[in-house]
Amino acid sequence: MPGDLLLIPFLAGVLITILLALAGAGLFLRGSVWQALALGQWAAVGGVFASILHWPVLPVALLLGGGVMALLQRSRERERLPLAVFLAGLAAVTLLAANFAQASLAAAAWAEGQLYFAGPGELQAAVGLALLTVLMIPVLRRIWLHAQIAPDVAAASTPVLWQRLGEIVWLVAAIVLGSMVLGLPAALATLLLPAWGAAWLARNLTGLLLWTQGIAMVGFLTAWAISLPLDQPFAPVLVLVNVVLALGARIAAMLR
Amino acid sequence: MPPEALPPILSARSARLGFDRPVIGPLTLEIPAGARWALTGPNGAGKSLLLKAITGQARVHGGLFQPAPAARISLLAQDHHRPQPWPLSGHDWFRAMGATTPAHAGVRALLDRRLDRLSGGQWQLLRLAAVLNSHADDASSQRLILLDEPANHLDAEVRSDAIELIKTVPTQTTLLITSHDDAFLRALELEIHPLAEYLDAR
Repeated sequence: MPGDLLLIPFLAGVLITILLALAGAGLFLRGSVWQALALGQWAAVGGVFASILHWPVLPVALLLGGGVMALLQRSRERERLPLAVFLAGLAAVTLLAANFAQASLAAAAWAEGQLYFAGPGELQAAVGLALLTVLMIPVLRRIWLHAQIAPDVAAASTPVLWQRLGEIVWLVAAIVLGSMVLGLPAALATLLLPAWGAAWLARNLTGLLLWTQGIAMVGFLTAWAISLPLDQPFAPVLVLVNVVLALGARIAAMLR
Repeated sequence: MPPEALPPILSARSARLGFDRPVIGPLTLEIPAGARWALTGPNGAGKSLLLKAITGQARVHGGLFQPAPAARISLLAQDHHRPQPWPLSGHDWFRAMGATTPAHAGVRALLDRRLDRLSGGQWQLLRLAAVLNSHADDASSQRLILLDEPANHLDAEVRSDAIELIKTVPTQTTLLITSHDDAFLRALELEIHPLAEYLDAR
């Protein structure tokens, strides 16, 4: 690693990869991958909007991402509505970028990712969310397992409201922070692809979580090792590496 | 407390049940605590709808429909689609259902397997065992187990296991089963109650 200059981006990237991979496993189990697209895109709208008004990016992105998640949670429509919301977000970013110079720069940053420029603020946010995640893992596992039961009904007690809300807030925070630092395409690739690849290899829920982390971490480290010496943007390299790893996992599962 | 000393586990009086609009009713019946009922009737009679109304998945549009407030209710739905891939094991399924694992060797043999790699019959047996044992460790609670066509998908290999599991449910637990499989119901020695007898009651 070329000196300490990239230590903070590297650590922030590692932590965010762990968080996004865990969130991806949860979204996979919930069958909510389309929601991730919509949420991430509207976090980007929030970030671009904040840049125009010179407001702090993270709170605005969280607010819009959270609003979209709240809307999608109220609907039983799992595919078309999230896709429509995603497209509306894409249109909003494009229109903002076309009309405001500042927005154009911000939109490019959300698309390409800013990992090499991540600073202490991003690292602190990632550490804070990682610590919260350690506390929340038992709740997250319970909610994701409970989401599998329907249409059967268990006599055991269901997760309470604060646990369900806590999971949603955590998902929003992970996706927004991940999109802000890695860029939207790279964050979505880390969310969706390692969990999908791991789902073919794992024997159970614990296996799914561990395989997802393993694939995501190999993807991050490989993309880091390729993009820096070859002077390539990190986000597209990470997307391609994750595609290869997920397909590799699928083929490995077919061969065994 | 013996089951006969308890109030009915379900009371319905002139109840109309449905989803967006009423589909069946008026329905009047009382199911005693500890009963072993098989609810029969042709397809579309409303048997599954009644079970869903008990769990709160269907709506009550009028009349009285009152499951016992303290009842712990579990339901085996008629079908449970399995996504592909589905990286969960039998142990995960029992944890999801809050169920204790039974001593039954046929069920224990499935616990380490992935759910999406079980045969249709094995999957049905595993779900049945989990529903029967959901919250079973709390002996103080009043339990109502609803089984909607539990004989569906059961091949010869697991059919006798399913009958054996249902027969070992504790006597204080109430069982309400729908099925078109007369041989299955006879093997379980249940009271047969045609749903039509409780509809349009005054």
